[in-house]
Amino acid sequence: MGSSNRKKKEKKKDFHKAKLKVGKANAKAANFTDTSFKSKSINVNQQTLEGDGSDSVEQFKQTLTTAATAKPDNLRRDALSYITTQVSAKPPNNPVGTASVLTKLLPLISDVSISVRAHLLRLFRVLPPSEVRPHVEKMLMYIRGGMTHLSADIRSDTLNAMEWLLDVAGDEVVSCPGGWLKTLNSFSSMLGWNPSVGSAMNSQGWTSGSKSTLGTKKGPEAQARQIQVLARFLQAGFQPETVAPYNPKAYWDNIYRLPATANPFAYLNLFGAPRDEDNEMYPDRISRQRVFDAKWRSSIVGGMEGAKKEGGTVGRAAALLDKALRGGLRDSAPLPAR
Amino acid sequence: MGKRKLAALEKVDADLVSLQYKIRRDPKSYAQEFYDQWLAYDAQRQIFISSPSTASTDDLKKFHDLVDLIAHVADLYPDLTGAYPDHLKELLNQHHAVLHPELREKVVGSLVLLRRKDVIDSTSLLTTLFPILISTPSKTLRSLLYAKIISDLRESNSKSTNHRLNRTIQTVLHNLVTSDRTSTKGMWATRITRELWRRQVWSDAKPCDVMKEACLGDNEKVVVGGVKFFLGGDKSREEFEDESSGDDVDLKRVKHQSGINKKSKKRQKAYEKAIDKVKKQDRKKSAPHPLNFSALHLLHDPQGFAEQLFQKHLQNTKNKFSLDNKLLILQLVTRLVGLHKLTIISLYSWFVRFLTPKQAQVTSFLASLAQATHDLVPPDAIEPLVVKIANEFVSEASASEVAAAGINSIREIAIRQPLCMTETLLQDLVLYQRSKDKGVVMAAKGLQSLYREVYPELLQKKYRGKEATMGLRSGETRQRKFGEEDVGGIEGIELLEQYKEEQKAKKLAEQEGLPEGDEGKKKLDDEDDDGFHSDEWEVGSTDSESSGGWIDVESDGEDDVPAKKRQKTGSEAPQLVDGDKENVVAEANGISTLAMTSILTPADLLKLQELRREARVDQALGNRSKRKKELIDRHIDEGVTAEDIELPATLGKKSTKEERVALAKDGKPGRDEHKSTQAIRKSKKEAEGKSSTNKEKARKKNFLMTVGKARAKTKRSLTDTTKALRQHVARSKNGGRRRNDAPP
Repeated sequence: MGSSNRKKKEKKKDFHKAKLKVGKANAKAANFTDTSFKSKSINVNQQTLEGDGSDSVEQFKQTLTTAATAKPDNLRRDALSYITTQVSAKPPNNPVGTASVLTKLLPLISDVSISVRAHLLRLFRVLPPSEVRPHVEKMLMYIRGGMTHLSADIRSDTLNAMEWLLDVAGDEVVSCPGGWLKTLNSFSSMLGWNPSVGSAMNSQGWTSGSKSTLGTKKGPEAQARQIQVLARFLQAGFQPETVAPYNPKAYWDNIYRLPATANPFAYLNLFGAPRDEDNEMYPDRISRQRVFDAKWRSSIVGGMEGAKKEGGTVGRAAALLDKALRGGLRDSAPLPAR
Repeated sequence: MGKRKLAALEKVDADLVSLQYKIRRDPKSYAQEFYDQWLAYDAQRQIFISSPSTASTDDLKKFHDLVDLIAHVADLYPDLTGAYPDHLKELLNQHHAVLHPELREKVVGSLVLLRRKDVIDSTSLLTTLFPILISTPSKTLRSLLYAKIISDLRESNSKSTNHRLNRTIQTVLHNLVTSDRTSTKGMWATRITRELWRRQVWSDAKPCDVMKEACLGDNEKVVVGGVKFFLGGDKSREEFEDESSGDDVDLKRVKHQSGINKKSKKRQKAYEKAIDKVKKQDRKKSAPHPLNFSALHLLHDPQGFAEQLFQKHLQNTKNKFSLDNKLLILQLVTRLVGLHKLTIISLYSWFVRFLTPKQAQVTSFLASLAQATHDLVPPDAIEPLVVKIANEFVSEASASEVAAAGINSIREIAIRQPLCMTETLLQDLVLYQRSKDKGVVMAAKGLQSLYREVYPELLQKKYRGKEATMGLRSGETRQRKFGEEDVGGIEGIELLEQYKEEQKAKKLAEQEGLPEGDEGKKKLDDEDDDGFHSDEWEVGSTDSESSGGWIDVESDGEDDVPAKKRQKTGSEAPQLVDGDKENVVAEANGISTLAMTSILTPADLLKLQELRREARVDQALGNRSKRKKELIDRHIDEGVTAEDIELPATLGKKSTKEERVALAKDGKPGRDEHKSTQAIRKSKKEAEGKSSTNKEKARKKNFLMTVGKARAKTKRSLTDTTKALRQHVARSKNGGRRRNDAPP
């Protein structure tokens, strides 16, 4: 009762005329603005973007920033499609270069919006492969981050990006630092074929199913796809090197000419941090085979056998993987009998 | 494009917080998921390390979240995350200058979290954080690291002292201070040491050693930090202790609230907690006080330290420290000299330059000089200074404040070394009690009363006073020579002896059935040799048979100083006052023989303590002169301050109007605006969350609600009125409350 009375009074107060008192300052008006503060800078809430389209370079840069940082999904998506059209135009209009585009947009691999990811892949596909190749190591970092992302959708979309990268720069992917073992690690973790987790927990446990098929609606398809891409990856890794035709000048070129490839002495690791086994480069097929045999063969073959028994799409994908393994390891050691 | 529907599981999984929760609930089942995130973390880490300064905000955010997740569950998967602490350390060590502040904070927080989960040990955490603390240019990071370092050290010393860790850190701090004496980096060593000393985490000699090294540095800030530690570290420690024990809970109030408010588990818990806290505080109160030595006492080689400090910072003319800081250093040096009775002769001649009224902060110099004086300083060294003070400060021409300060500082010096005075000078100074200014009069009288007790021969006969004259005549008051010390003894042992004899006499009187008197005493003396009473064992174990023989031997050899516990002198008062009646009595009769002839039992010691206390109360009630009381009250640990020197000059000065107004306003409710006392009280009540008193409610009650009752009251019959009055009386007897069962 008391409180409602008070409220009534308070309401009434609005309609009373304020009493003026001698010797006191007037009451502040309702719309009084306090201007007694001091500030070093003024933040403006709304800003207009002036883009009349006259300066295409500026506009491109602006769009690139929008694509990387804008909050709304639609803005990012539209910016990406704009960049795609610019890059795919004949002649391509890319004032900042592929390197900067990649640096800006790579974090979008694990973007939350499905359409942004799709548009990003579209953009990747129109990038000139020769300019992508030097940046494979960096791309692989993002791809590995995406492959073990919490969300299953991002994981599967990252596989698409991986597939594209294998298409355009398969050789670099498997031979760059960390490209072989670390990526294999991510694949096996994705598939749940990881030996180190079980040993870390001291016991395998009795419910260690391949977790990727659990819970998701299109579980088998997703797993099949993962196995497929793994097979492609292994194929790329075990591809026999093409023997270069004899070049009588090669010896002298090697000594006196500038190398044609980017970072030709990467294997020396002159400037980076010291690498461990996982981060090491495996530049040729033999070394890849050897380290695969030592570390991954048993677990991947074991997982593959299990997948084969599942049949269906997963089984078919596992058969593909089997084929890739047999092809790749033909000359290293016999596979265990079926 | 419409929104895509997410599967329920996926939706929940897609956030790291819930994953963390699940992992903590069931680490085994979520090992695979954790491993995925570990790989994601690894990838993000590599992305970040490849270009730490240009990482995009998106990447930073992801990395931040993953670092957080892994730090929280790292203890569950020790095999997988073995490298994690090293990653964080490396990240912090190499990139702390370019890391984004939030990420940086997260990395530091994660390391501390790992420490709390016992994944890493304190030493490795602190040795990681400490180098960054002293090298980073970022203020926020420094304050964060400082807080973390302090809290970790406190935490690891909370249950029991972690000596090993403390030693490591103290060595690090020591090296920091000593390695580069000119840099400000030593500041951090002093700050950390001071804070831990204040919290009593460190209370041994090693931190004092660190601070000692800091004092001997070349950087002004570091030196001042060290000096302030010695001057005020112990006081701040005591204050902190008082503060932390001050926030007690009002148990009565909590109990009352729990009776009124709705009962809930939370309130029950709060109540139990309050009870626990009260119990803990009670236990703390009854617990013996922890033995904490002050930093000044824990110093190793104070003589060398004081000499070095004096030579390096004060005597050295190239030293460019500011005057305030030099004064601080001087205070420390003189405190050390006074406390440990050190001898630095050149210190006194150094003082001469500063003893003029025009010197800035001269009262501080005077106080320091008084502090530097003790009874082992040769009077020749101080005499010229006293003469100089008298010449410069005390004259009819000088301002009254100056004269008062001069005389007072001479008195402070003379308390500590009475031999520094010449007869003519003293007589001249004492004559200033004829001055018009009250401050000067008081100072001169103080000097006079001091010399009445310690060295009355120096005063003219008419200024000696009755007691001193009588003492001189009877030989009770005696001038002490330079370097003379009291003969040690057990304080109050003669009281105990007296008490015992009284007890014995009483017992005898009871046994014999005789009134206590001469006869009883005689009997006592006769029986003293052969009998001891069984119940006397409780108080003392006097082997009376042998005691007679021993007494003779001891009293013959007067100079034979008995080997007994040394009296704890020096902490209470300087030993120049030896006019104690008991002492004189003891000296006249020879020293009490009780402690030589018998072993004091614990019961004896208790009684002794009690007797001592009684005696002290007697003295405090007026059996003792003001001077001695002052000397006893003043703890030697506290030293002399400039305020002590300036005190007499403030006497008799009228206060200004502002001071008087402030004094009048003190303790009254604040009135920012014109308001009635009632209104102020009401607003105070409202601020406390209370509405109004019952009285106020009764006063404000609607008239119409009370009018009926009032009208009925006038129409009551006589019996009704009587009944009502009777009830009123009865009510007031049992607490003034109307019970439910009370008759209407």
